[in-house]
Amino acid sequence: MHSAENDGEQHQSVKLTINGLPVSADTGMTLVEAAWQGGVPRVTSVGCMEGVCGSCRIMLRRGKQVTVGLACQTFAAEGIEAVFLPPASAPQHHYEIDDFKDGWDIHARFQDIFPEASRCRHCHGCDYACPKGIKVENGVAQAAAGRYRDAGETFFECVMCELCDVACPELIAPAHVGLFSRRITAHFHLRPPNLINRLEELRKERSGSSIIESDEE
Amino acid sequence: MSNGIPLAEARARYSPDADIGPLPDLADTDTLLNAYHPDHLRGSLVNLVVGANAGDSCQRELAELLQAEAFIDEADLAGTPVSDVDVLVIGGGGAGCAAALMAAEKGARVLLATKLRLGDSNTVMAEGGIQAAIEAGDSIQQHIQDTLRGGHHAGDPALVAAMAGDGPDVLRWLIRLGMQFEQTSGGDLHTRRAGGMSTARLTHCRDYTGLEMMRVLREAVIQHRSIEVWEQSPVVELLSNEHGQKCVGAVLTSLLDDRLRIVRTRSVILATGGLGRLHLNGFPTSNHLGATGDGLVLAYRLGARLREMDSFQYHPTGLLHPSHLAGKLVTEGVRAAGALLVNGVGRRFVDELLPRDMVCAAILRECAEGRGIRVDERHVGVWLDTPRLERAQPGLLEKQFPNLMSRTRVSCVDPRYTPLLVHPTLHYQNGGVVIDTNGATTVPGLYAVGEVAGGIHGRNRIMGNALLEIISFGRRAGIAATANRDRGPKKVTLEHVNRMRRALTLAGMPMSRRAPQVLPPYAAGGVWSR
Ligand SMILES: Cc1cc2nc3c(=O)[nH]c(=O)nc-3n(C[C@H](O)[C@H](O)[C@H](O)COP(=O)(O)OP(=O)(O)OC[C@H]3O[C@@H](n4cnc5c(N)ncnc54)[C@H](O)[C@@H]3O)c2cc1C
Ligand code: SF4
Ligand code: SF4
Repeated sequence: MHSAENDGEQHQSVKLTINGLPVSADTGMTLVEAAWQGGVPRVTSVGCMEGVCGSCRIMLRRGKQVTVGLACQTFAAEGIEAVFLPPASAPQHHYEIDDFKDGWDIHARFQDIFPEASRCRHCHGCDYACPKGIKVENGVAQAAAGRYRDAGETFFECVMCELCDVACPELIAPAHVGLFSRRITAHFHLRPPNLINRLEELRKERSGSSIIESDEE
Repeated sequence: MSNGIPLAEARARYSPDADIGPLPDLADTDTLLNAYHPDHLRGSLVNLVVGANAGDSCQRELAELLQAEAFIDEADLAGTPVSDVDVLVIGGGGAGCAAALMAAEKGARVLLATKLRLGDSNTVMAEGGIQAAIEAGDSIQQHIQDTLRGGHHAGDPALVAAMAGDGPDVLRWLIRLGMQFEQTSGGDLHTRRAGGMSTARLTHCRDYTGLEMMRVLREAVIQHRSIEVWEQSPVVELLSNEHGQKCVGAVLTSLLDDRLRIVRTRSVILATGGLGRLHLNGFPTSNHLGATGDGLVLAYRLGARLREMDSFQYHPTGLLHPSHLAGKLVTEGVRAAGALLVNGVGRRFVDELLPRDMVCAAILRECAEGRGIRVDERHVGVWLDTPRLERAQPGLLEKQFPNLMSRTRVSCVDPRYTPLLVHPTLHYQNGGVVIDTNGATTVPGLYAVGEVAGGIHGRNRIMGNALLEIISFGRRAGIAATANRDRGPKKVTLEHVNRMRRALTLAGMPMSRRAPQVLPPYAAGGVWSR
């Protein structure tokens, strides 16, 4: 980890607190780097350090403003206070995709699994929480209206940090609503001809020869 | 290194429509690799002295870990709580999740233990795509040939054939679980041709292929009734039977409270991924925080054979700048889409779609010979000419590489207008634990799948084969491990640890170092007080 670079950009030295401990860092550093350099113990809810794994969830105070976000996407600044959040609790909504036999009753199934989704109170809590700028509230509305393909597209950049789940007063679990929407769209509708043709060719070849592969189900 | 063109000067000289000259002829590739590839750096290799690979060549820093003392001894086992399961999967990336799902589907009670959060992995970071021979002009045979050729014919043809043959069905399985892919207007899966492929074979989900795969697998695992997940729970040692000959479980610790736990089982599936965070030869890495080669250390101590421990993949285009993204990847997809590499004097210097080891060596040659772009003494790189690509195909970067765009946006760099400064980064472990087509290692009861396993990519991996491998072999091992229905372990011991200690003492090796590493030193604050 190097930080100072003579690239013309001025990095200033700043003081902040992480998990209650005073840390000095410079402004080119993310809060993950600042925490490690500052010797903050047990900062292990860190994964990719480029904002795709959703692990390094923090609560951040800047003056009077309190927000949530990802530590690897947040840069050190004077006087801010950051706290790494504990891991998310286990999901409250359960389904296995193999339990869905066809797509015609999928909306009824969705309502059974996510009954809260139709009770959104449009408080924007999830939108404020999302570090990826996803229009979460809108995505939930799309799913609640049965528009799963659109909902899934809304959640395209979701990194499963589940900060929206924490923010939602109705316990809708927007992150999982989004993933449900994406998954059933692929599960029921993605039927690519080139893949299907090749699978069919391979099936014929295999049934033509007597070799039975060990992984044949 | 004081040579190279200063950044400011190179920036001033750069223009997206300057003439960058013809592609120079590549001198003999072996000479290039020998002179510049990091695997050939003087002093970077040693011969292993103890264990199943004694006498074999191995990267120096890795050898130190493979021949180190364990953290756990018999005294630690007394009074430690024990759990019993049918199959223990170690590692919560793509390979581990695929193995857990298959084992559960076959009726096993599965425990998946992972070091960080479920899904914190190299898998989630993969961008470019996953290979499968599905186009009409392509064939499984061609996929096999490309893979073997890309790996300099060091791969195991049986493993390669198994993986390539699984390709189309792997895609079907992923789609069924709910993974989306990019499609053409006619509904086909969209494919690209990337480095080392004879034809278009790379399927993808924009440049978030790994994220899309990982979030679907993660959700499927969390939702599955017969899979239990332990997060923040690294395995620090395996357990063997009283002869030290069979794997019968593992010892885990917790990053939250350091408490040990024992898991007893019939089969263990190692899916711990790679080792970029060991920063071999001082290189930056594209890998996630947990990639510290633990699986290699654990398997080797239990007697498993490894292979190609002297061969690593340095990805040609790691970001050099801005510093907080140092080592992070610019997917090869960008080069596949047409982006060129340009040196500090404004010239193209290599065919961008040659296998990665050659492109990497060519970049290091430019830097070493003074044609690189210098940020400071330690940081020299070359341009990845994204603005030129944007000129040729307006809107492409935004549309197909949202991940790259959003990562660079945080630091106010816009690749549509500014070329990216890149340098090779430690990316992938080509070799690994020796396995058969079921993912079984040379130790009974122990399976290894994904990046921790070896034999498929030979001495160089071509893009898109890792994501295929992890699902193909993850599924195979999940099934095979469940088929083992013996009565389970009578006794769990550390006999293999004792055996390794005797061998180290006999060979007069130092015993001061302990392994596995679990976390890189800069992130280990407060953890691992033992
Ligand atoms: C930035 C990047 C881009 C890539 N792009 C592509 C691409 O486009 N196409 C492609 O095919 N491949 C790509 N790869 C390679 C590919 O992503 C990986 O090789 C592959 O995903 C590895 O999967 P895995 O399941 O074996 O390991 P991982 O996904 O890394 O998972 C390993 C898991 O094991 C856990 N673990 C480690 N040690 C322990 C321990 N001691 N105890 C318990 N758990 C442990 C880790 O925390 C992690 O969860 C890319 C890799 C990177 C880093
Ligand atoms: S939608 Fe929710 S889970 Fe997804 S990135 Fe935004 S806050 Fe995180
Ligand atoms: S936080 Fe919950 S209730 Fe509020 S807008 Fe979002 S989904 Fe609706």
